Amino acid sequence: MDDFQTGLVDLLPRLRRFARVLARSDADAHDLVQETVERALAKRGGFRPGTRLDSWAFTIMRRIFIDQTRSNARWARVVAPADERTPDIADAALAGEDLRADALAVRDALQALPDDQRIAVALVLIDGLSYAEAAAVMGVPAGTLTSRLVRGRQALIRTLAEQGVSA
Amino acid sequence: MIHYDDETLMRRVDGELTPEAGALIDAAAAADPAIAARLATLRSLRSLAREALPLVPDPRDRDLARLIAAAPTSPPLAARMSEALRIAFAPRHAPLWGGLAAACFVLGLSFGWLSAGGSNSGFTVGPQGQIADAALVRVLDTRLTADGADAEGRSVGLTFRDADDRWCRTFQSGEAGVAGLACREADAWGLEALAPFQPAAGDLRTASADIPAPILAAVDAALAADPLDATAEARARDAGWN
Repeated sequence: MDDFQTGLVDLLPRLRRFARVLARSDADAHDLVQETVERALAKRGGFRPGTRLDSWAFTIMRRIFIDQTRSNARWARVVAPADERTPDIADAALAGEDLRADALAVRDALQALPDDQRIAVALVLIDGLSYAEAAAVMGVPAGTLTSRLVRGRQALIRTLAEQGVSA
Repeated sequence: MIHYDDETLMRRVDGELTPEAGALIDAAAAADPAIAARLATLRSLRSLAREALPLVPDPRDRDLARLIAAAPTSPPLAARMSEALRIAFAPRHAPLWGGLAAACFVLGLSFGWLSAGGSNSGFTVGPQGQIADAALVRVLDTRLTADGADAEGRSVGLTFRDADDRWCRTFQSGEAGVAGLACREADAWGLEALAPFQPAAGDLRTASADIPAPILAAVDAALAADPLDATAEARARDAGWN
């Protein structure tokens, strides 16, 4: 394996975590990781060595997710599926995770955020990217990123407080 | 007492303030329990969020790692390229290319450009890889594939968007003996790939024989959508590559 391939393998856990914030279910998250890896391999010529592989791969995943969301929205207008939201708790149990109730409440609160805010929170709060890196991944100016981050955080704090989780 | 908005406190928690500005916030928090409480809430949310989404090993990552390890380092040329190339270099340009080839042959200006260090042709590249040769920049900015080659044998081949949504164009410079791929970023053409180029002499041939294999491989790897047809190419040029 060359540096690009090794770097991509090392990124898998972070890509999966980002996908789990974006997607509604564990299966969807896995599909998102898989598609991101496939596209990254196919488009590796677009990666410039010396730049950050994580930002590049996150950008690919963000684009795939947004494209899927758009096509799902078109589809939903036609068929209005009943099982649109698979409960996250079932997934956590399936994955054998033993999470505290607080953690589950945080996941639910995250899922309730609009996509833009959820992506900003995932990149900065959870993955720890700098504002500049996160803005680049989202393809927005720094000011847009910070306002999404502020609104996302305010909503999370409000939602968790209503549920008695002390953030 | 100074009022700090949520964004400022958030920046403090995320380490996005200068040390001086951060110290100001910390001093304010020491003096004002309300500010301290807001900072504590933000910090607590951050650790709660990380706790809720831990980095955990996943058995499915092993399959993905195998997929990554098995990937070719240089992707194969996609079949859809051949048609685009055929159109891009239609046979009507063949006599022109033939003439160029003869000129290059006579003048001995084919290979050896790269090994000569590139100082003799006026083809210069800036520190960030941006093409600084004014004549070549003009060709990339304005020339259409259908225009064929200019007097110095410079021409443009394929035009397409890459995964980063940048405009990319392949070019050939008969006199300099190079072919390359350039992508547009921050109002400049950045050099993505460069290879020695010798226009083939004689009869009709497909374009894929003209574009060197390293450039084709670079195109294939960068391509995010099919190359433009002549109409779309002209439209993109007229719009100033925006």
